[in-house]
Amino acid sequence: MNILLNGKQLSADNNISLIKLLELNNINEKNIVIEINKKIITKDLWGETRLNKNDKIEVITAVGGG
Amino acid sequence: MSFIINKKLYKSRLIIGSGKYKDFKQAKNVLKASGAEMITVAIKRTNIGQDQKQENLLDYIDPSHYKILPNTAGCFSANDAIRVALLAKELLNDNLIKLEVLADKDTLLPNESETLIAAKELVKLGFAIMVYTTDNITLAKELERVGCIAVMPLASPIGTGKGITKPEYIKKIIRNANVPVIVDAGIGTASDATIAMELGCDGVLLNSAIAMSDDPIIMAEAMKYAVISGRKAYEAKRMKISDIAIPSSNKKNVLS
Repeated sequence: MNILLNGKQLSADNNISLIKLLELNNINEKNIVIEINKKIITKDLWGETRLNKNDKIEVITAVGGG
Repeated sequence: MSFIINKKLYKSRLIIGSGKYKDFKQAKNVLKASGAEMITVAIKRTNIGQDQKQENLLDYIDPSHYKILPNTAGCFSANDAIRVALLAKELLNDNLIKLEVLADKDTLLPNESETLIAAKELVKLGFAIMVYTTDNITLAKELERVGCIAVMPLASPIGTGKGITKPEYIKKIIRNANVPVIVDAGIGTASDATIAMELGCDGVLLNSAIAMSDDPIIMAEAMKYAVISGRKAYEAKRMKISDIAIPSSNKKNVLS
């Protein structure tokens, strides 16, 4: 199935868990927050959250800014 | 009056940004040299597909020593700013936010109506808002009335380094405010920060003035003293300006 990860189209296994997606994409779990379809998914739910076709996932962190 | 933000007392009245540095290490060293106890960060997408061990800005800022102030930079609507504020709260586990809703990419001036809408909504959601605003005194007062904990008028547009272009407007905001007034954006060099503090600002927030100087560490130190200097001058209350020259030595006992 296709998903959008930080605006980039990716192909992922059906029903993949969020935590697996992070692992496959080499994303460090520290210092990030995640949104799926503009809804924040708290860290305790990353393991049980399954992704659906066309989900828009945003992985957000703090960067330099004024 | 002490410098208190969100019930916390700060010794330094300087707040610095973390943008535009060569690397995180330089940002960290600048923070130390500036004496600032609060540093702004932006909330953005991570780079995907890179090394797991890739460093993160947050690894370089010790939260037991420094208050991290996330901003809503890059937002042009109230809805976007609210979304970013909620992400920041989840990321940093804190309700403090620098609200910034911009009008357009060319001027980077605040969008007044969207800023006010976002402020009202974020207060309802329990945020402590330090709000980036224009030098419009009516808006500054309104932002305070809806519950913002600090108002932060610009000295001049973001990144221009033009200093305080309308000091009388900043003064008016200060005179009417019951929350801290912090000049945010437009500071170009140390004397600009001093002037802001001499006007009676409670603090100064700056980024490019340090980051875009040739030697950010030395400039950070200059800003530290500039803010202290300006504050002391404000507290000491400057001498009256006279049109007539007045000698510094006693007029008596002049040799004849």
